[in-house]
Amino acid sequence: MTLGVLFLVVVALGLIAWFVARARAAVFRSGSVGRFSALPAHHGWYVALWTILPPLVFLTIWWFVSPALVTDAVLATPAAAALPPPGFARAAILSEARYLSRGDAFGAFHNLSEVLAPAYATAQRRYDWIATGLAALLAFAGFAFAIIRVRPNFAARTKVERIVMLALLAASLIAILTTVGIVASLLFESARFFAIVPITDFLFGTHWSPQVIDARDPGASLGAVPLFWGTFFIGAVIAMIVAIPFGLMSAIYLTQYAKASTRRWMKPLLEILAGVPTVVYGYFAALTVAPAVRDFAVAIGITWASSESALAAGLVMGVMIIPFVSSMADDSLAAVPSSMRDGSLAMGATPSETIRRVLVPAALPGIVGGVLLAVSRAIGETMIVVMAASGVAALTLNPFASTTTVTKQIVDLLTGEAEFNSAKTLAAFALGLTLFVVTLLLNIVALVVVKRYREAYD
Amino acid sequence: MTERAPTDWRTDAMRRRIARRYAAERRFRALGLGAILLSAGFLAFLIVTMIAQGASGFTETRLALPIDFARATLAVTPEQLRGQRADLALAGAGLEGVVDSAAGATFGASGGAALLSDGAWLRVRDAIKADPSLLRRKATLDVPVASDIDMAYKGAGGATAEQTVAVLRGSLSRGLNIGFFDGADSTDPTRVGIWGALKGSLLTMAVTLILAFPIGVLSALYLEEYAPRNRWTDLIEVSINNLAAVPSIIFGLLGLAVFLGTLGLPRSAPIVGGLTLALMTMPVIVIAGRNAIKAVPPSIRDAALGIGASPVQVVFHHVLPLALPGILTGTIIGMARALGETAPLLMIGMRAFIAAPPAGLGDPATVLPVQIFLWSDEVQRGFVEKTSAAIIVLLVFLLAMNGLAIYLRNRFETRW
Repeated sequence: MTLGVLFLVVVALGLIAWFVARARAAVFRSGSVGRFSALPAHHGWYVALWTILPPLVFLTIWWFVSPALVTDAVLATPAAAALPPPGFARAAILSEARYLSRGDAFGAFHNLSEVLAPAYATAQRRYDWIATGLAALLAFAGFAFAIIRVRPNFAARTKVERIVMLALLAASLIAILTTVGIVASLLFESARFFAIVPITDFLFGTHWSPQVIDARDPGASLGAVPLFWGTFFIGAVIAMIVAIPFGLMSAIYLTQYAKASTRRWMKPLLEILAGVPTVVYGYFAALTVAPAVRDFAVAIGITWASSESALAAGLVMGVMIIPFVSSMADDSLAAVPSSMRDGSLAMGATPSETIRRVLVPAALPGIVGGVLLAVSRAIGETMIVVMAASGVAALTLNPFASTTTVTKQIVDLLTGEAEFNSAKTLAAFALGLTLFVVTLLLNIVALVVVKRYREAYD
Repeated sequence: MTERAPTDWRTDAMRRRIARRYAAERRFRALGLGAILLSAGFLAFLIVTMIAQGASGFTETRLALPIDFARATLAVTPEQLRGQRADLALAGAGLEGVVDSAAGATFGASGGAALLSDGAWLRVRDAIKADPSLLRRKATLDVPVASDIDMAYKGAGGATAEQTVAVLRGSLSRGLNIGFFDGADSTDPTRVGIWGALKGSLLTMAVTLILAFPIGVLSALYLEEYAPRNRWTDLIEVSINNLAAVPSIIFGLLGLAVFLGTLGLPRSAPIVGGLTLALMTMPVIVIAGRNAIKAVPPSIRDAALGIGASPVQVVFHHVLPLALPGILTGTIIGMARALGETAPLLMIGMRAFIAAPPAGLGDPATVLPVQIFLWSDEVQRGFVEKTSAAIIVLLVFLLAMNGLAIYLRNRFETRW
């Protein structure tokens, strides 16, 4: 049986167990009038969980482990001796044999895979039977263990609730596991990278050209400073020049001037701007904005203007960030006590004077926190720069020149044809680690700023 | 403190001053309105541009092509077309050559066949399958034209193609491009379709939802209702808030290193895409879920506890049902974000050229945003309208999801 069917069978067994246990509990309740520790349904749940969980845990582990076991079994057959040494060709033949054995392939490119396919089918069948047998054994053992516990004085509810609590705890631990997974995988691959390239070359080198890496001194062409500068220039300078004024003024208008009815449809409109996928912004930037920017540059006399300018990517990224800045500013403006606003208005200040001299200064820490978060989001943004910025790493202050960013380089490095162990591929993980650390720091600083500000008024 | 004379509001200086302040007020207000209108204008410009460029992608240009099946030497008879074997019989019948020579006979031997799309013979095949009696007579069929002719007929082609269109005008017509909705990727822009990518997206989303929703809701419940306040729960909270702000491409690197590198799952499969996106969506659901749970008043918990419910019963019988609309709103927003996500999926290899819709979770697949990205890289003119058309489809999905979320929020917003 395949794993999917096995899962369904186990769940069906659990359902049966639930009914059996509930019926059993109902029987001993029907005659007597004593006090019981649990309802029949709780007994049902207790037995059902004991029937389902052990085989499910087993099958989940099996799902990850069994492909390797099957491959090992195939490799142990005599026919596998003719396989080429580990590498791309070997993997291709093995995966072709696997497809053939499942009947998914129409034909084979390699003769060897046709020879290996029956071995694959045999091994797969054998391991499928082992899985079925073990899962059934676990299900029945769990069922037997639980069903003999169904007695009038057995506190099934407490036991079930303990399992539920464990499930809740396990669910929330996944966040930690993900964080650990991110940090561990980035650190691990980066460590391999820094074994090849000195960390100082990477962090302080000013020459980036991963296409041609000198094997004797790989660090010389993997200096990431131009990438850091390009990322900062596009994400933190150009994008913010667009996003901060527009976001802040939108928030001020929406919170202070707009009628409730206007606000009701203006706000969702801004939210839609935030919901547009970045690939759409990227396409728009590359197709419409970038040529317009170049035409503009040519019109003002810059003849060498690039069609993959920092300005085009930055402008569109700024528009993407507007709703984000706006909603952060909105929140912090709303958190300013209205007595401060009313006091200023009562002194005879106009609304705009109140906003500029009272509300914005009072909300400033919150706004600054929001801007920091926006910067963090802008420098981590990928698709706009992948589609609108160039791959040329240059240290330039000119917005019409082409620059590249960290995220664009990660995509370029990992979607090529390179080997998984080369300095080129591993450099992507080092860039990823840098990006992760920088955005993490920005987020922490932003949260600290916001938190300190909130304490002032609560 | 010295006494000051009351301000004389009638002096010219004071009037000018007030006028200046009011003008500043009006300017500031106009600035705010301008900012918001420009933002909305940008959105409108984007949508209008996409519709203007993409609307023609939903139509195709067809050429009326007379084919004399009776005289063509097709290795197939109407009797062979009954039942299951029809596709196989037609595939080996040399239909492509017959269509090409028919085009050559009608529109000139040199360039006639080049007028037609690579997929023109498929249309003829379908027509024959629908009506086998065609094989015995002469018929005129509408078949799709090559991409450059198609573009020229839509008014965006090159000079030579424009001339060809002017010559052919009488036999050209326009129709709904059904192939765009049920086809998959192709190298010929007239043959591409979004169904392959859409199906990949749906499978990926299904995996994401199945994993992220229960995990997200359960951890929100744990953190909000049961978790003791200690260093461990603080750690969980910090990692969830941090994960929500991690750049999406980092999740792609995680998926590449862990799911592909360590666990050896298949490249570019919906299952890996779904796993990666689930890790990204889960924090969004947790944060929305916690807010919704927090909004349920404590009196409801106290009442349930007061009549003897256990803490688990309180949560699952009372708190969770009341918080569910809020959780669903957050889930829909998280799923909409996942549906539009491209970067992490590029990392796990979903940018391959895949010409068949995926049949299962382990099959190579692509998703709609990645398909848009791939088409945007194509240099052929015909791909511009297809890219924009695919963007329209994606935006329709996203707007529907966001609209549903806003509707749910308004409909179920309860104030206790």
